[in-house]
Amino acid sequence: MLQLLVGQTLNGVIVGTLYGIIALGVTLTFGITGIVNFALGEFMMIGAYVTWYLFDVAGLPYPVAIFPATAIAAGCGFVADQLLFRFTRNNLINGLLVSIGLISIIEAAALLLWTTTPKDMGYVLSGAVRLGGVSVPKMKLVVFALLAAVMFLTYAALSRTWIGRAAYAYSQNPEAAMLMGVRTEVLQSGVVVYSTALAGFGGALYASLYSLEPAMGGLYILKGIEAAILGGIGSLIGALAGGIILGVTEAVGSIYLPGAFRDAYGLIFVVAILLYQPSGLFGAER
Amino acid sequence: MKALLWLPLLIFPALIQSNFILTIFTFSFILAIAAVSFNLIFGFTGQLSMFHAAAFGIAAYITSLTASIFHVSFWVGLVPAICFTILISLIIGSICFKFKLRAFYFAVVTLAFSELARLVILNWNSVTNGTLGLMVLDKPFLWVPVTGLTKIDGVFGWYFFSLAALIFTVAACSLVLRSWIGRCFAAIRLNEDLAQTLGINIFRYKLLSFTLANTLAAIAGSLYAFYTGYIEPNYLSINQSLDIISMVLLGGRSSIIGPIAGAFVLTGLPHVINLSGEARAILYGLVLILTILVLPQGMIGTLASWRRAA
Amino acid sequence: MRRLIWSVIVALTASPVAAQNTVKIGQIEAQTGANAIYGYMSSQGLALAVDQVNKAGGFKVGEKTYTVELIASDTRGDPKEASIQLKRLLETDQAKFVFGPFLSNVFVTIDPYAKQFNGKFLLMGGATRIHDFLGTPEHDFLIRTWNWDAGPKGFGNLMVDRLVKETGAKKVAMLFQNDQGGKVLVDIYTPLFKEKGIETQLELFEPGTKDFSAVLAKLAAGKPDLLFPSYSDAHLYDIVRQATEGNYFRKFFLVRGSLGPGLKNKDEIDDYFVYVPKYFEQAEKTDQKVAKFIADYKAFYKRDFPYDQAPLCSSSCYDHLFMLIEAMKKAGSVDDVARIRKELLAMTYDGLWKIRFDEKGEEIFNFDVVRMKRGGQISVTSVDTQ
Repeated sequence: MLQLLVGQTLNGVIVGTLYGIIALGVTLTFGITGIVNFALGEFMMIGAYVTWYLFDVAGLPYPVAIFPATAIAAGCGFVADQLLFRFTRNNLINGLLVSIGLISIIEAAALLLWTTTPKDMGYVLSGAVRLGGVSVPKMKLVVFALLAAVMFLTYAALSRTWIGRAAYAYSQNPEAAMLMGVRTEVLQSGVVVYSTALAGFGGALYASLYSLEPAMGGLYILKGIEAAILGGIGSLIGALAGGIILGVTEAVGSIYLPGAFRDAYGLIFVVAILLYQPSGLFGAER
Repeated sequence: MKALLWLPLLIFPALIQSNFILTIFTFSFILAIAAVSFNLIFGFTGQLSMFHAAAFGIAAYITSLTASIFHVSFWVGLVPAICFTILISLIIGSICFKFKLRAFYFAVVTLAFSELARLVILNWNSVTNGTLGLMVLDKPFLWVPVTGLTKIDGVFGWYFFSLAALIFTVAACSLVLRSWIGRCFAAIRLNEDLAQTLGINIFRYKLLSFTLANTLAAIAGSLYAFYTGYIEPNYLSINQSLDIISMVLLGGRSSIIGPIAGAFVLTGLPHVINLSGEARAILYGLVLILTILVLPQGMIGTLASWRRAA
Repeated sequence: MRRLIWSVIVALTASPVAAQNTVKIGQIEAQTGANAIYGYMSSQGLALAVDQVNKAGGFKVGEKTYTVELIASDTRGDPKEASIQLKRLLETDQAKFVFGPFLSNVFVTIDPYAKQFNGKFLLMGGATRIHDFLGTPEHDFLIRTWNWDAGPKGFGNLMVDRLVKETGAKKVAMLFQNDQGGKVLVDIYTPLFKEKGIETQLELFEPGTKDFSAVLAKLAAGKPDLLFPSYSDAHLYDIVRQATEGNYFRKFFLVRGSLGPGLKNKDEIDDYFVYVPKYFEQAEKTDQKVAKFIADYKAFYKRDFPYDQAPLCSSSCYDHLFMLIEAMKKAGSVDDVARIRKELLAMTYDGLWKIRFDEKGEEIFNFDVVRMKRGGQISVTSVDTQ
C-alpha cells in the first residue's frame, strides 16, 4: 500500500508539472492581457504534433525536434495574437469566445492534416528506474526536470530582469507602467507569444510520453486553469505548485476512489479556493 | 406590434412540409429557449454562467426519470425538475454571490459545479444508467382547443408545441425585463458597485436572474429530452454550454429575440451547407470569431443599430 | 410562391438532382469528434468502394446500368445531428440504403424515426445496441454489420476459450472506458469469464485519460494473470506502454484493438493476444484482395494506409457496398427493399472478409487471432466462423 502511495505521488508530481506549464501560461496571460486564452491547449497540441512529425517522420533527433516545435507553436501564437487577441485585451468574455472559435479552427486543421487516428511517437527514452520500490519511467523524470527548469527560469527572468519588472509593473498598474515607458503593446503580445511557447514546449514533451490526438488539448487547458486558480492567478510559483497539488491529488485520489472521479478533485479544489481564498494558495491580494 | 413577427413561424409549416426542415426548426426552437434564458443572466445581468447546460441536462433527467418511474405525464414530471432546478440554483447562486464572485471566477465556479453535476450523472449508474443513457419513450399530452387532449408526437405536433414554449419563454422574459426587476438587472450589468450604492440588493437580483434563467433552461432540457427520445450525460457537457453561449453571441445579447436568430443559424447551418466535418468546424470557429470582432452586437443587435442610425 | 420557396430550399439542401440511373447510398457516421475512430474507417472504405464502382462504369441490374451516389454525413457523434441527417436522407434525398451508425447513442436516438420507414429502406450499421433490436417487430429495415461477441458463434466466446486453453489464466484484470462500448464489454465478458471459472477485477477510466498509472497499479495489486484493456487504440498505446514501463503487466488479452501497441513494446511483453478482424500486415502478403485494397487506398487517398484502423473496415465499409450491389442484382431491383434484404441474408460474400448474416440480420465474419510473444514473434490463426 505504501508503495502504491509513493508511486502515485511521484507520478502525480510529474503529471502535475505538465498541468503547471499550462497553468503558467494561463496565469501570465491573465495577468498581463486580462483574458484567459482557452486555446492554449491547442498550442500544446501543435507543439506535440510538430515534434512527432520532426522526430518520427523527418527523423530529427528528439532534442533537436523540440525547438522548431516550440517555435512553430509560438509563431502560431503570434499570428493569433495579431489577428485576434490584440482586439480583446482585458475583455474576458470576448477573449474567451475568440479563443473558443480558435479552438475549433485549430482542431479542424489538425484533423485535416493528421486525421483522428492517434499518433504514437517512437520512444525517446525507454526503461524505468526503481525509486523506492516503484518503477518510474526515465522519460517522465526527464520531462519533469525540463518543465520544472523552464518554470523556474521563467520565474527568475521575470523577477530579475528588466522585462520581468516591466511586466510586473504593468500588472500592478497599467497606466503608470505606460507612463514609465513600458511598451505595453509589445509586452502584451510578448506574453501571449511566450505563453503559447510554453504550451508548445509542454506539448513537445507530452509527445514523448503519450499518444497524440487532435483533441488532446481540451483536458489540459481545463486542468491548467484549475491549477492556476488553485495556486493563485498572478503567481508564477503558484502555477507550478497548483499543478503539482492537482496532479498528486488526482493520482492519490484514484487509489481510494473510483477512477471515474478523477476530474472531480480539481473542480472541488477550484470551488473551495475561490470561495475561501480567492487569491489562491500563493497569490497576493489583487 | 412585435407579436406580428411570430406570424411567419406560425404559418411556415403550411408552406414547407418537409420533415427535415421542420425538424431543424423544432430543434432550433427548443435550443432557442435555452439561449433566450441564458441571455437573462448573461446579456441582461452581465454574468457569464457556465451552469446553463447543467440546468438543461439535470432537468432533462429528472423529468424523464419521474415520468417513467412513477408512470406520470410529462407535466407532472416537470414539477420536480423545476423545483430541483430552483433549489440548486438558489444554493449555487447563493454560494457564488455571497462570496461576491465576479466575472471570470463566477464563470469558473459555475463551470466546476456543472462538471461535477455531469460526473455525478455519469457515474450514478443505478439511477441514470450512466454513459449508456436512457430512452425516453413517453410523449407529452396537451389540451388543445379543437382536438382536446392530444399527444404531441410527429412533426407538426412538436413544431407547434415547441414554438408555443418558445413564445411563452419570450413572453416571460419580456415581462420580467420590462419591469423594475429588469432595470435592476441592467443596473447590475452596467456598473455593479454603482447599483449597490443606489440601494439595489445585488445579491438578491443576481440570484433571481440566475434562478430564473436556469428554470427556463430546465424547461428547454425537458422538452429536448422528450423530443429526441434519448438522454445522456453529454447534455451537461461544456460543449453544450458553449453552443448556447455562441448562439447568444451570434444572435445578439442586447435583445430578447436575438438569441433565437443565433439558435437558428447554428442549428441549421451545418445542414444547409454541405461541407465536410472539418470544414464545418472551421466555419463555426470563424463565425464565432467574426461575431466577436466585427459584429459584437450580434446579428440582431447590428440590424437594430443600423435601423436606429438610418 | 410555395414552389419558389420550396425549390430554393431544395436547391440549398438536397444533393444535386439525381441522374437518371443513380442509386443513392447514405452514410451517417461520426467522422469528427471524440468518437471519430469508429466512423473513420467506414467513411474511408465506403467512399473508395463507391469510387471504384463508378469508375468501372457502374453496375447493371436487369437492363439498366446504375451509378452510385454517396451522401456521407458527419454526425460528430451527436444524436441530434444524426436525426436531422437521417430525415434528410430518407425524405429529401430519398435514399433507400443507409450505412451506419457505429455509435450506439446515435442509433438509439434515430431508431423511433427509422421505424416509421420500416419496409422502405435498409439501415446497415455496426452499433452494439443494434443487436438488441434485431428481429423485433418493425425492425425489418435493420441489419447489423458487425459480429456479436457473445453467443455460440461469437468471437468473444472463441477468444476466451482459446485464452484458457493456451495460457491457463485464472484471473483477468479488465480495464475499460466508462462509455457505452466499455459498459457493453463488461456485460458481455464478465459472464463469459465466470463460466470458465476465471476471476475478474474491473476498473473503468474516463475517455480522454492519458495517464493510467493509478488504475494499472490498483489492478496489478490484485495479482491477475493478464490485462484485458480497452478497445480503442487511442488508449491502448498508452495503456500497454505504461503497463510495461511501470512493470505492472507483461501479458495482455485484447478483443478489438490492434497489434500496434504490442509491437511497439515487444521486448517488454511476455504475451499479447489480440482479436483482430483482420491482421492486415500479414494478409497483405498472402491475400491478393487485401493487397489490392491497400494499394487502391494509397492511390486514392494519397496517404499511408492506416494498418491499425483497417480492421474496423469490417463494418459498413468496403465489402458491404459490393454485397449490397450483388444483392440488388440477385433481386433484380434497386428499389425492392424487402427482396434485397432477403438476398443479403441469404448470401455469403467473399471479399476482404468472408461475410454472411445470420437469420436475424447480424453479421458473421471470419477473424484473426494474433499472438505475439516477447521479442515480436507473431503467430496468426485465422478463425473461420462459418
